[in-house]
Amino acid sequence: MSSIALLRVRGLSRRFGGLQAVADLNFDAWSGEVLGVIGPNGAGKSTTFNMIAGALTPSAGSIEFDGQRVDGLPTHAFAARGIMRTFQHNKPFPSMSVLENVMVGMHTRIACSLWQVVAATPAAKHAQAHAAKRAAELIEFVGLKEWIDADVATLSFGQGRLLEIARALAGEPRLMLFDEPAAGLSPSECLRLADVIRAIAARGIAVLLIEHDMRFLMSLAERVIVLNFGRSIAEGTPDQIRVDPAVVEAYLGDLGALSRA
Amino acid sequence: MKSLAGYFFAAVVLSAIAFVLGSYQTDVYRKLLLWITLALSYNFLFGVSGQVAFSHFTFYGIGAYSIVILTTQLQWPLPLAIVAAVLICVVAALVVAIPATRLEGFYLALATLAFAQLFVVLLNEGGSVTGGTGGLANYRIPEIAGLRITGPWYTIVIVVLMLGTLAVLWRLERSHFGRACRAVRDNPEAAAAMGVDPRRTRIVAYVISSALAGLAGMVYAFVDNTVNPVIFGLENAFLLLFMVIIGGSGSHAGAVIGAVLLYLMPFVLSPLIGHHHALVFGLVMVLAVLFQPQGLIGLWHSLRDRRAASAGRSTP
Repeated sequence: MSSIALLRVRGLSRRFGGLQAVADLNFDAWSGEVLGVIGPNGAGKSTTFNMIAGALTPSAGSIEFDGQRVDGLPTHAFAARGIMRTFQHNKPFPSMSVLENVMVGMHTRIACSLWQVVAATPAAKHAQAHAAKRAAELIEFVGLKEWIDADVATLSFGQGRLLEIARALAGEPRLMLFDEPAAGLSPSECLRLADVIRAIAARGIAVLLIEHDMRFLMSLAERVIVLNFGRSIAEGTPDQIRVDPAVVEAYLGDLGALSRA
Repeated sequence: MKSLAGYFFAAVVLSAIAFVLGSYQTDVYRKLLLWITLALSYNFLFGVSGQVAFSHFTFYGIGAYSIVILTTQLQWPLPLAIVAAVLICVVAALVVAIPATRLEGFYLALATLAFAQLFVVLLNEGGSVTGGTGGLANYRIPEIAGLRITGPWYTIVIVVLMLGTLAVLWRLERSHFGRACRAVRDNPEAAAAMGVDPRRTRIVAYVISSALAGLAGMVYAFVDNTVNPVIFGLENAFLLLFMVIIGGSGSHAGAVIGAVLLYLMPFVLSPLIGHHHALVFGLVMVLAVLFQPQGLIGLWHSLRDRRAASAGRSTP
């Protein structure tokens, strides 16, 4: 672990009209760690996620990635810098095969001009072949090898989630953002997903996980941030979080969920 | 098409046809090739990139008028005039695309519709430069190095244009750029998350396909040796849209099939039912959109899949 955090979030805030969705959020994320963000409904998890993913501009505060400010940049610039995401509701490109979907994730890593493409230069052909090969490796990594040429419409929801992950990995991320990845998955699919996420972190990629499913998150995250009403109310290891009085109070309506986790 | 041999074979066959046709047939053949060329590039814009634009025929007109004005009124040599006319198309496409791609779907259609109408007005009011309502005529293709390309040799130029357009679009479609275009069409939000700049992708796709339409227009200018505002009106812009939809938008083969079918339909139907062929055309369009929105190529694919599925069942 390097001495400077890969992601530094300082004073992050977002206001929607009169609603303060996120207020003065501060945290760091380090390469190779799984950082979890939890909170009750309406706590500002998704808003936080969207700001770090570049889909939403903060009202105040800063997001520093690898020592550079990224807040305010257009969405596509986040991917170019190495921040890739999955969607809570799978968003595959329906007109493409599984392989092509993953190759789209590689967009920022293909250094080949349109002139080279039109002239079909060796560099262009190599870039295409290399992209297809890398994509096939990632599809195998997430366990979709048999579906590589399949129409994405034929995938199950859980397989679609794995495709989302392969597609995001194709962008060679240094920070991977998961938006409620366990939502809608069966228990066995959750186990498979947890394995994949651990393997991603083991590659030295920082993983930021926003999750509603406490049991899933607590088994996976090394560090957890708890949000409530847009503010961070606790931060620590899963064991510390389970007994934190503020967290217990925030989840009072759902004490069962906390003790089961 | 993938292989160089395939293109060469197609070029030889399509060029050979040029030498056996009479003058009327040559005219039909040349225009058929030009319609296919236009349908191919419009398919990239509408089908692959998903932009509902009505300006494609306008760029065909900009290319045609530019090359005529540059070579006859300004007396520029042909190669220089071609480069300049391409640049004019690119600049015009940027002027339309940069503000218009800020607008989504419906509004892009309106903006390009307005642009198409404006172009016709400019042609009509252009005085001696555009020849007004009568257009420009009485010119010939300039000589290059003492040679004037005419007759079947000029038909070969059109064959090369068509195959060249196909080759460029084929390669683009299969590249990272083609995937980016389809990604933006399918889901701009997910495309942006993958690092694709949706607006830039739309602009580049618009400029490339419009420039290819302009190039086809330059070639067209020396087919009839006359250009006038009526040709570049909205009627043909819609015909082009119908060709791509009937054939199957997003597919090169679909664009070719749609162009061949709709261009040749009046030639077949007119002798039988006269002007009522427009009625048949309208009926075919409505039925196609209602029952086969994937176009003829989609019909072919589903038939093939069904046959493959039943073959799979019979041989377990």
